[in-house]
Amino acid sequence: MAEKIKILYVDDEPDNLIGFKATLRMNYQVFVTDKIDEAFAILDQHPDIRVVFCDQRMPGMSGAEFFEVMRQKHQLPVRILLTGYSDAEATIAAINKGNIFRYVQKPWKEPDILSAIDEAGKFYMATSMLAVKNNELQTAYDELNKFAYSVSHDIRGPLTGILGAINVAHDIDDIDEMKEMLLLMEKSISKLDSYIINMHDYYSLQRGELKIAEISFEEFFNELKPLYEVSAKVNDVEFDMSITQTETFRNDRDLLKLIFNNLLSNAFKYQDKRKINKRVEVTVEVKNNTATVCVKDTGVGILGNHIGEIFNLFYRANSQEVGSGFGLYNVKGALLKLNGQIEVNSVMDQGTTFKVTIPSL
Amino acid sequence: MDLSLIVIDESDLDCFIAQKIIQHTYKNSVVKLYHNPQTAFDAIRAKSVGISLPAIIFLDLQMPIMNGFAFLDAFEKLADEITRQYKIFILSSTRNNSDISKGLSYKTVSGIIEKPLTKEKLQDIMPQHEVQ
Repeated sequence: MAEKIKILYVDDEPDNLIGFKATLRMNYQVFVTDKIDEAFAILDQHPDIRVVFCDQRMPGMSGAEFFEVMRQKHQLPVRILLTGYSDAEATIAAINKGNIFRYVQKPWKEPDILSAIDEAGKFYMATSMLAVKNNELQTAYDELNKFAYSVSHDIRGPLTGILGAINVAHDIDDIDEMKEMLLLMEKSISKLDSYIINMHDYYSLQRGELKIAEISFEEFFNELKPLYEVSAKVNDVEFDMSITQTETFRNDRDLLKLIFNNLLSNAFKYQDKRKINKRVEVTVEVKNNTATVCVKDTGVGILGNHIGEIFNLFYRANSQEVGSGFGLYNVKGALLKLNGQIEVNSVMDQGTTFKVTIPSL
Repeated sequence: MDLSLIVIDESDLDCFIAQKIIQHTYKNSVVKLYHNPQTAFDAIRAKSVGISLPAIIFLDLQMPIMNGFAFLDAFEKLADEITRQYKIFILSSTRNNSDISKGLSYKTVSGIIEKPLTKEKLQDIMPQHEVQ
């Protein structure tokens, strides 16, 4: 059964509290108090309370005033005032100010309370859904803004560079100089291309469905390995793998590829070129339905104050190498989809280790 | 007299282009390239840029770690005897209005040039220098 809906009832008459709790506790999780201070404390402790009933005639502060204060900190719980006839004016004012959702006549009867809870529950769901959707929309807008901004740098930047180069080419006679420039142009175009591939990954991540299949990590990493062997050879980086898998593991192959391609390419990219013993090491252990994968490098490391930000969209902590600021953001997005975790350990000039844990799905 | 210029830009290609355009336009020019704004700033502060002053600086905006704005913030805190030796132009591909107005709000920034740099744009900001 789903968890019971939480309800708070505030009234200074103990008999009312007892009656209320006795009537409703079978179907709801009921909190009661005869003190305003305590009511705030209960709300702080249980922010998921959905409906709050309060008697208008409370000592020190009226029910309507209580709701006015309460809604500043707790907007979501639906507020219902319990009042007698003589409080009509205060009740109307409270409704008009938007401080309460509805009122129930005192002395209250069970059907009135039940119908109020029912209506309030629906209202609560609608408002909280709206809040969730609004949040999602806000995130989407924020990302769109970041995209729009990055377009002028990450797409227009390489393009204006290439355009400038063509411009310069008219005045270059020297073949070597021309070759040097072509090499730089090639670098710019690769950068643009990788930006577009990453953007595509990003989009697939946001919209794609999971495709679950059995994964053998031995096979999986043997497929990735050739992509890095050239870089390992050219830059004299030792590339080691050790895989322990005795149980089956089920997951989305494409998302795993995205995660480990990004981590591996970073591990090779951010090597310290001056070092003699350069290494990239992958260890995999599958145990208790969980895969733990470490990607360890002997690279330049990440400064402590950048570590918190490396998973942010378009964040780049290094100017040594070309990066799009997309890679680790996509890794984090993929892990979120797979219910996985990532940890970073880095020491400047010594290297970085990313530890990824992913449950079998 | 030599014409001194400093280019601060993360992109190798953009540095190369700026250098070639400048050298093709002004024969007596000396160009110093910095891929890292921090290195450029340190050299300026330590008065060890190694070219004759005064100099013109072309500054890109979007760079990791220290971007163009962070460079300008730091630069404007330097002693007047240093800052007055430099004339800064922002050289960027940005079309973002807030970037542009923010850039122009720095009192040490003389103008903004949209990438790519061309001979014409270069001559526009240095009318007093004769093209070779």
